Amino acid sequence: MDPIGSAAPARTIALRVNGVELTTPIEDRELLVDVVRKRLRQTGTHVGCYNGDCGVCTISLNGKIIKSCLILAASADGGDITTIEGFSGGEELDDIQQAFWDEDGFQCGFCLPGMLFAARDLLERNPEPSEADIRQAISGNICRCTGYVNIVRSVHTAAQRRTS
Amino acid sequence: MIRTSLRYHRPATPEESTAILVEYAGDVVVLGGGTMILPMMHRAEVEAGHIVDLRGLGLATVTEEGRYVRIGAMVTYGDLLDSDVVAREAPLLRRMAGAITGGNQLRNLATAGGAACYGNPSSDVPAVLVALGATMCLHGPAGERRVPAAEFFVDAFRTAVGGGEFLMWMEVPRLVVEVGYHKLKLCEGSGPIVTAAVVRDGGRTIATVGAASVTPLRFDLTSCVDSGVDTVDELIRDGVVNPWTDVLADGRYRRDVAGAVVRRAVADLREG
Ligand SMILES: Cc1cc2nc3c(=O)[nH]c(=O)nc-3n(C[C@H](O)[C@H](O)[C@H](O)COP(=O)(O)OP(=O)(O)OC[C@H]3O[C@@H](n4cnc5c(N)ncnc54)[C@H](O)[C@@H]3O)c2cc1C
Ligand code: FES
Ligand code: FES
Repeated sequence: MDPIGSAAPARTIALRVNGVELTTPIEDRELLVDVVRKRLRQTGTHVGCYNGDCGVCTISLNGKIIKSCLILAASADGGDITTIEGFSGGEELDDIQQAFWDEDGFQCGFCLPGMLFAARDLLERNPEPSEADIRQAISGNICRCTGYVNIVRSVHTAAQRRTS
Repeated sequence: MIRTSLRYHRPATPEESTAILVEYAGDVVVLGGGTMILPMMHRAEVEAGHIVDLRGLGLATVTEEGRYVRIGAMVTYGDLLDSDVVAREAPLLRRMAGAITGGNQLRNLATAGGAACYGNPSSDVPAVLVALGATMCLHGPAGERRVPAAEFFVDAFRTAVGGGEFLMWMEVPRLVVEVGYHKLKLCEGSGPIVTAAVVRDGGRTIATVGAASVTPLRFDLTSCVDSGVDTVDELIRDGVVNPWTDVLADGRYRRDVAGAVVRRAVADLREG
């Protein structure tokens, strides 16, 4: 943090993060992504653009996936957050993560928070997505490694395994 | 990280919100979904000492009120997509929300009201609100003020929202009309180059063109819609007198393609 002196408006907010209730001090000007990464040390949530374009800062807030660089931490007070660390709810990979693993759905993994949360969001709404549906659903995320082909295949595999 | 000092306010009433906007006039911004304003503050393109979050005002609801559907200023594109009322009574809003890029991670934060108040010509929202004949309900120092969408968009990035005012609701008439929509964009993730919303109400066919000009433009197609490509294209090209240029496209290009976009929206309407 680089506080601008003791005058910087600040407060304490309450959050539930991956099932754990906690409170954390924040400055009013802090974005949620920075609080998640720097104060809560959930550094699986990444930062790429701070502009809403890349999706690597994706978390779930109160059951909805959002880009956490586009919201002030103060606005999330009282919220229930799942970060990529809490994605599977345990130590094991969940079925979507497993499909990404099996299909080589990532290389460096930087884009995974966005890709995995978007994939889960899609499969909850549409258990049998077409390729076009999958491409549409992940279109808010940028991957610089894979060329997307294996990501689309991973989501498709996860969907097939769920329905078969 | 926003590099300047910022105080966060979450008022619980419209009156309290206006009081804060008046007290810190010149040094305060309204926070809607935050998807435009926060990145701009992060890049220090907008500086303010105070920010007023509208999340405490209960404006995230869609309700049926007699002859219109009332959309709160904090209703996100995701809320529009999930709403049965919108699907039934205002399908054009649903079409628009579904066409917004950025994925559900963006649509779950960004609001249609925020896009309207931002007044970016390269947006899907202004032309759709004008096409539907929406009324923008503002709250300010003098209480409530209602502005027709057609008068709300004054210039690029300039709206009718005055000092101390903010948008509370948008009222969209429940008209039994047929609609068509088409959006031209460069790629899946690009903002709109030109949009066209076509509404057929009784015997009249009206096209509202967005992103081609600094503000939405309305064209009465009733007499020319059956007389062929050339008439429509000419009508639209002549009408785009103040074409909009930004990083996405040159104004001359926008003016040239606007007619084709309108024709596709008409085809969309015909195909139902
Ligand atoms: C990745 C990405 C993709 C996008 N794709 C599209 C697209 O396909 N089509 C499109 O049209 N747009 C697109 N946008 C822009 C998007 O429409 C806007 O970001 C969003 O709708 C603005 O709403 P907001 O609630 O986030 O506004 P904010 O960022 O909260 O506010 C925007 C401006 O309006 C003011 N404001 C907000 N609410 C009010 C209010 N109630 N009363 C008074 N003033 C208010 C704010 O002070 C600010 O000046 C995209 C943006 C991103 C980041
Ligand atoms: S860092 Fe949030 S979308 Fe890129
Ligand atoms: S795997 Fe490297 S950015 Fe997607």
